[in-house]
Amino acid sequence: MSLWVDKFRPRALDDLHYHHNLSARLKSLAASGDFPHMLFYGPSGAGKKTRITCTLKQLFGPGVEKLKIDQRVFLSPSKRKIEVNIVQSNFHLEITPSEAGNYDRVVIQELLKEIAQTQQVDLNAKQRFKVVIINEADSLSRDAQAALRRTMEKYMSNMRIILCANSTSRLIAPIKSRCLLMRVPAPSDEEMQTVLTHVARRAYFDLPPEAAQEIIKDANGNLRKAILVLEALKMQSPDLTGPLTIAKPDWETYCQKVATLIVTEQTPARVMEIRTKFYELLSHCIPPTVILKTVAEAVVSQVDETLKADVMHWAAFYEVRMRIGSKKIYHLEAWVVKVMSLYKQSFYSLDMSDF
Amino acid sequence: MSRVLPSHRVSVHRVASGGMSLFAPTGLLGPSSTLDKEDTVLAPPSFTLNGLLGPVASTSALAASSSESGPSKVFTPTGLLSSDVNGTKSAPIELPYDDDEPPTVAQALGIPPPVSEYVSPFTVRATTFDGKTIHLRKKPPRRNRLLLGSFTERMGNLLDVPIHRLLEGLSTDTAAKLQASDIQAATHPESEAITEDTLWVDRYRPRQFADLMGNERVARETMAWVKQWDWCVFGKTKAGKKRPREGDEAFDAMDEYRRPREKLLLLSGPPGLGKTTLAHVVARQAGYEVMEINASDARSGSVIDDRIRPALESGRAVGSTKPVLLVIDEIDGATGAGESSNTFIHKLIQLTSDKPRKKNRKGHDNNAKRPILRPIICICNDQNAASLAKLRAVALQVRFVRPADVHTVKRLREVCEIEGLKADGRALTTLVGIARGDLRGCLNTLQFIKSRNHEVTEAVIRNATVGMKEADTSLLSVVNSIFSPLTRKRVKELGLTEADESKFVGRISREIDGCGRENSVAVACFAHYATVHQHDANFSRYEKANEWLVTFDLLSAAMYSDGDFALSQYIAYTLVPFYPLFNQRGGQRIERSQADWEAAVQTRANEEIYKSLSRCLQTASTRHGGDYRHLVGTPVMQLEFAPCLNRIISPPLRPVNSQVIKPEERAVLARLVDIMATLELQFYQERAEDGQLTYRLDPPIDVFVTYDGKRAADIAVSRYAVRHLVAGEIEAQMISRKVDIIEKGKRGKHDFFDKSSPAKKPGDGGSLSSPTRAPDGADTPNKRARVEPKPVDIADKPPTDFFGRLITAPSLSTTKAAERKNVEKKYRVTYKFKEGNSAAVRKPIKMKAFM
Repeated sequence: MSLWVDKFRPRALDDLHYHHNLSARLKSLAASGDFPHMLFYGPSGAGKKTRITCTLKQLFGPGVEKLKIDQRVFLSPSKRKIEVNIVQSNFHLEITPSEAGNYDRVVIQELLKEIAQTQQVDLNAKQRFKVVIINEADSLSRDAQAALRRTMEKYMSNMRIILCANSTSRLIAPIKSRCLLMRVPAPSDEEMQTVLTHVARRAYFDLPPEAAQEIIKDANGNLRKAILVLEALKMQSPDLTGPLTIAKPDWETYCQKVATLIVTEQTPARVMEIRTKFYELLSHCIPPTVILKTVAEAVVSQVDETLKADVMHWAAFYEVRMRIGSKKIYHLEAWVVKVMSLYKQSFYSLDMSDF
Repeated sequence: MSRVLPSHRVSVHRVASGGMSLFAPTGLLGPSSTLDKEDTVLAPPSFTLNGLLGPVASTSALAASSSESGPSKVFTPTGLLSSDVNGTKSAPIELPYDDDEPPTVAQALGIPPPVSEYVSPFTVRATTFDGKTIHLRKKPPRRNRLLLGSFTERMGNLLDVPIHRLLEGLSTDTAAKLQASDIQAATHPESEAITEDTLWVDRYRPRQFADLMGNERVARETMAWVKQWDWCVFGKTKAGKKRPREGDEAFDAMDEYRRPREKLLLLSGPPGLGKTTLAHVVARQAGYEVMEINASDARSGSVIDDRIRPALESGRAVGSTKPVLLVIDEIDGATGAGESSNTFIHKLIQLTSDKPRKKNRKGHDNNAKRPILRPIICICNDQNAASLAKLRAVALQVRFVRPADVHTVKRLREVCEIEGLKADGRALTTLVGIARGDLRGCLNTLQFIKSRNHEVTEAVIRNATVGMKEADTSLLSVVNSIFSPLTRKRVKELGLTEADESKFVGRISREIDGCGRENSVAVACFAHYATVHQHDANFSRYEKANEWLVTFDLLSAAMYSDGDFALSQYIAYTLVPFYPLFNQRGGQRIERSQADWEAAVQTRANEEIYKSLSRCLQTASTRHGGDYRHLVGTPVMQLEFAPCLNRIISPPLRPVNSQVIKPEERAVLARLVDIMATLELQFYQERAEDGQLTYRLDPPIDVFVTYDGKRAADIAVSRYAVRHLVAGEIEAQMISRKVDIIEKGKRGKHDFFDKSSPAKKPGDGGSLSSPTRAPDGADTPNKRARVEPKPVDIADKPPTDFFGRLITAPSLSTTKAAERKNVEKKYRVTYKFKEGNSAAVRKPIKMKAFM
């Protein structure tokens, strides 16, 4: 049995609940016959992948839903084995090259060429080309993106590429210019509300609107998260009545705690305490950039107006450094110390102005 | 003579000078002795002139001087006499006359020598008993006599080579070089150029136990341990009388060979204090032959089996009669850190811990490993090396510490005197201080200085030891020197001025560089900067420190990820600023912090759990048409899926029997079981250490809602009974699913043939499907058609076979197959295997009952 996220996922473009303009556009594109390379981008949980699968169904018919999942082993130049999971149907193929880490270039080169150089053999296929979906395209290395460039032009007759990314900022310009960019914005609260009620109806229960509002507020435009939370909530308290507390993910609660620690006291001992908390978060595989962002947001909500801009500025500053660097904890702590120092300074200057 | 070993030369000089106190240049002696009675007595008829006389002279001289009596000193120069006194070199026949002669010689020498005949200045005339006159070649004059003569008295007790060995070496040397040196001496009697071909370190290496310097306790401990082996190695006869000493209780009562409790000795300490020398000296002194394994030898686990075990078992080295003692030098470099059982250390421990077996003595169990009956001494620098962790537990540990500087200085001064170096105590003390007691380093430095000048002053020492200051560059010492200033003592030792002391950049960066583990140093700095108790009101100091750490990280990331190793020379400087920021006199010594490492380990473990969760998701998605695959993505899984999943799978169920729960609860349970079974999450029963049974989630994804060892507050703790209930349900579901899969597989084939057979033979399809169709096996197309329906019944095949065989002969002709078919269609029997149920009733029954 599947989770609700999957179970009630729309399968066709017509079933989608929001962004109807986008759906209409995709539909006409699929019908037009010259389907371009595409780049879907937008925040997490906005429905990019759902739209991609719907588009595929529109292109090829129900055949795309017959999926086969297997693992391919690639050999890196240094003879290291790289395993990549490939989801494919007769008409398309879905890969996540970031699974290969630094060797994503090898995967892109070998796999795409292989696909691109074989023609569609099924005479009944609606389209002459196959579609390759590349997930997490924004984590593709520069080499892999470069490897993609020429392939996208050369084998246009056999293959279309659909990239799926959170933001376009990490894709090189040549790739962006070869694709039709599709922005999938996060759904509005009302749209989410309709989706949640739809899910509830399909799962045969009534969702009180207050509960839905709570969930939506917490999900922050991430529909996947909203539905997961809904399901968790339903499991936790099956009747969904009475005062509901939406459980935040634990790492988020923990980040809040860290923020409170920063604001309440600024001493070396506190720095050490926060450091152990950061270690704990990092060891739970929470991406350091997410930690920094979440803590910074929590700090901003607690500090004085004058400091907010500075706190965020330094968070951004250290996030950049963190991405360049390799030892994440240094950067996290550097930011903490910076914020503490800012806080102290503002505190003292306030005192001074008073006297 | 210019190339005689110095130790030999020492003795020679001493002798010579003893003689010289009475005699002027030896050339004059020749004539004087011609008329001596002793000469006539001593020169035997058999005596011939040969090259050996030179050495004879010297050896005799030695012996004479050692007796220290005035007459004998006088007596030396002739060379002839001495040979008799000692009797080692010349013919033994002469010996009887020796002992009573010396006084007469002295008398004779007192008489002014009459100049009667012509005698060559290099020969001595002697007369035998028979009155024959022979000419003996005189001992050639020695160089350096005057130079070194004055040191004689003080050197008296410094003879560190057994006398007989000295004599041997000396005689062979002189014999070989006599001629050459003769000429040389004649032409350049004043030449002082001495070329040295041995290191001082070797020359002054202690040869005997008594020569060992410093660490007397260590030396004694080592010796005592080696002596404990006597009973085992040499048998009780030899060491028996010493038994009742206190060393006795160290023996293991259980050990039939009476070996010491610890079969290994681990000597550890900084370099240059004489660990290797101690091991060798002690071994020789105790009567062992040393077998040494050091870093230059291969030291894999196989070496133990190939080389060491045979040597130890045979008990003695090849071509030697002494028992063998194994010295494993630099053992901290051997393999042994891992858990693998094939490392050197592991094998070594195994070797020593082999239990002696009674049978082995009688030798009819040759394959069994024999216990080791020989001592093993291991030597290392770093006692705490990771690879030695296991060894430490089973070895007797002896730590070398730096001996008091006074002793080292004293020894150095003695060496300097012998070598003719003018050294003041102050300079030597400085040297020892800089070298941190490393005697080897000191000796090498002195030798180096000697090659250039003859005076050792403080300035010279400072010059020569520029690079020696950063000798100790372990990680901890580097970190400590970053966080604490130089001690006053060290400043004095290094002779730094105020200005020098304040110059820290070069010193610290060199230390960090020398350590070679910048990353670890950075981690240690990171771990400790915030613990330094210093008032920092506005955090400016911490900000700076972090700024430098970030810079360090950026540099090293650029270096390692882009392979830009040209940056490596700047890396050390990014850590230097910690010194001015945080150095603190009298702060406590920094110990290694494990926090970073522990976090890394924890991260790896959790990554593994995520991986297994994503594998579960992958399999689930293959079963459910790719449904779960969108949740596998990197940030999504950790941030959204894992926390929610934990809540989804822990509903507040009551621990009651699944038969009596409320319908809504049943729905929840069913759903829970469905989801868990799909994701292959299971509860496994486990017995805790206290004997209590628990159910453990596998893969343990509940760690992702566990922070600081506490589970999230909003997730109900699922009780044992609930988990038990769920586990049972999941198991049932998994089993039924497995059955489903098998049956689906069968049906799949079934479907396939059903579909394909009409495609192949559209006409035949209808006739095949009717089971009552009469068989007509004559024509070939039909025959082929017979073969095809078989797969139709694949699901029921086992009963078919069974019945077919029971009823008819085991032939498989087409007609039989058809018959079988008919039979089978009439009486259809199916079995269902219910796994896990064993409520069977056994009862004899006839086949007829089924039909």
